[in-house]
Amino acid sequence: MVGFAAAQVTAPPLPQPAAVQGSYPERSVADWLTRMHEASRLRSYVGTFVVSSNNGGMSSSRIWHACAGDQQVERVESLTGPPRSTFRRNEEVVTFLPESRVFRVERRESLGLFPNLLKSYEASIPEFYEARRVGGGRVAGFDTEVVELAPKDNLRFGYRIWSEKKSGLVVKLQTMDAEGNVLEQAAFSELQFDAPVRIDKLSRMMAAPEGWRIEKAEALKTSAAAEGWQLRASVAGFQPITCYKRPVAGAPASGGTLQWIFSDGLAAVSLFVEAYDRQRHVQEGLFSSGATQTLTRRIQDWWLTAVGEVPPQTLKAFAQSLERRK
Amino acid sequence: MDKMEMHELMSAMADGQLQGEAFARGVEVAASNPAALEAWHTYHLIGDVLRSGDFTLGTVPAAFLSRMQIRLHQEQRLAPALQAGARSDATAAPGSSRMPANDASFRWKLVAGFASLAAMAAIGWTVAGPSISKPEKAQLAGAQSGTVLAGTERGVMIRDPRLDELLAAHRQLGGASALQAPAGFLRNATFEGPAR
Repeated sequence: MVGFAAAQVTAPPLPQPAAVQGSYPERSVADWLTRMHEASRLRSYVGTFVVSSNNGGMSSSRIWHACAGDQQVERVESLTGPPRSTFRRNEEVVTFLPESRVFRVERRESLGLFPNLLKSYEASIPEFYEARRVGGGRVAGFDTEVVELAPKDNLRFGYRIWSEKKSGLVVKLQTMDAEGNVLEQAAFSELQFDAPVRIDKLSRMMAAPEGWRIEKAEALKTSAAAEGWQLRASVAGFQPITCYKRPVAGAPASGGTLQWIFSDGLAAVSLFVEAYDRQRHVQEGLFSSGATQTLTRRIQDWWLTAVGEVPPQTLKAFAQSLERRK
Repeated sequence: MDKMEMHELMSAMADGQLQGEAFARGVEVAASNPAALEAWHTYHLIGDVLRSGDFTLGTVPAAFLSRMQIRLHQEQRLAPALQAGARSDATAAPGSSRMPANDASFRWKLVAGFASLAAMAAIGWTVAGPSISKPEKAQLAGAQSGTVLAGTERGVMIRDPRLDELLAAHRQLGGASALQAPAGFLRNATFEGPAR
């Protein structure tokens, strides 16, 4: 009877949904990301998108986005630099380059990866990033919730995401380094939901104009192992995603360039490996442009160019770990 | 010659790799082509910055030109002594501290004869290091450099067409991120480099 009374006095603790330390109690990281992704699949919108880097660079484009069922179509008109129109229909991407009258066609697998991507990273993203709601704000006239995805180690950058309150659409995204400096910001400066964007009209614009040169992306899928490469030790959080081989423009006999792609769910790293060429491969070093870091280094008879939206030490870790298979 | 070839030629000339006829050709190209002159100036700046280890911006051409003319005048008086010194690539004369090593060379004087120097070419990349905006920020690469890559120093790097291609490939195929839609894709599409 005493035990029973005691049980009544001290109520059992409330069950905590996925009580991962630091995670926002109402939504997990996976929930946030799913919501953001879905928002883009369900609403049409037009707007102006601006990307700015801490090195002073700024580019902007005009966006049209339409969706119907499973079809997603997007049109991106560059407003900065040489004129360029990019159209996307699900995984198919075409680019119009009016100045050179070139029409480029490619399949971007990564765009179709999301549901699977999230599945494979569902456990690991929270392992390497901590999600925190950090208040709200107005962006392009819309009320937003701000979520911060802070890295738990120094091998990745942090993100601050402004998500439109009603739909969850990402309207502003900042990439930040360890000291909290903003390396890059991508945001809508202007946004209009449910604008009359016709998916069939956009789709029809995706045809090659007469007289233009048609270029098809020549990336062949391969595997690092088949090409003779491996990592001595993996870099924490980063899993290999895929691997492509491409011919090198101007050096057809060189055997091509390998692109080995890794991701931790939010950030991607590409390791480009090609045959060492004394004439072209001159500058070893570490370079940065906004959030994108680049490392170049000679590895025996090869030349590595590692590129990623990750801190320099992460690229160094990859460079030190990359080796030929024995 | 195409742009890539021209850049390589200017780069080789700035590095002192050209001799005799090749060198004369390089000088001719730089004299007749404003873009080449611009590239030469930048490569030279890169070399200076790498040697001195400081991050410096190019100076206003008029100011630079007048300072250089003064120096030229001074050097002409020292020319005979310098000719002998240049061959062994000797360290700078005592008293001229922190001068780039090639200041005293014959090659530098020849190139300095150009009538005008174009403004520095647009720089797309900076070496990860002293941040332009936050002087007190910790030196990112320096703090972490347990291993320093061969030849790496703080400095400025010119935009490289080949690097742009790889960058574009990274953005196109490497976009394996849960932040793809829409921000990731839009960011990459907005950024995609200059038309090939």
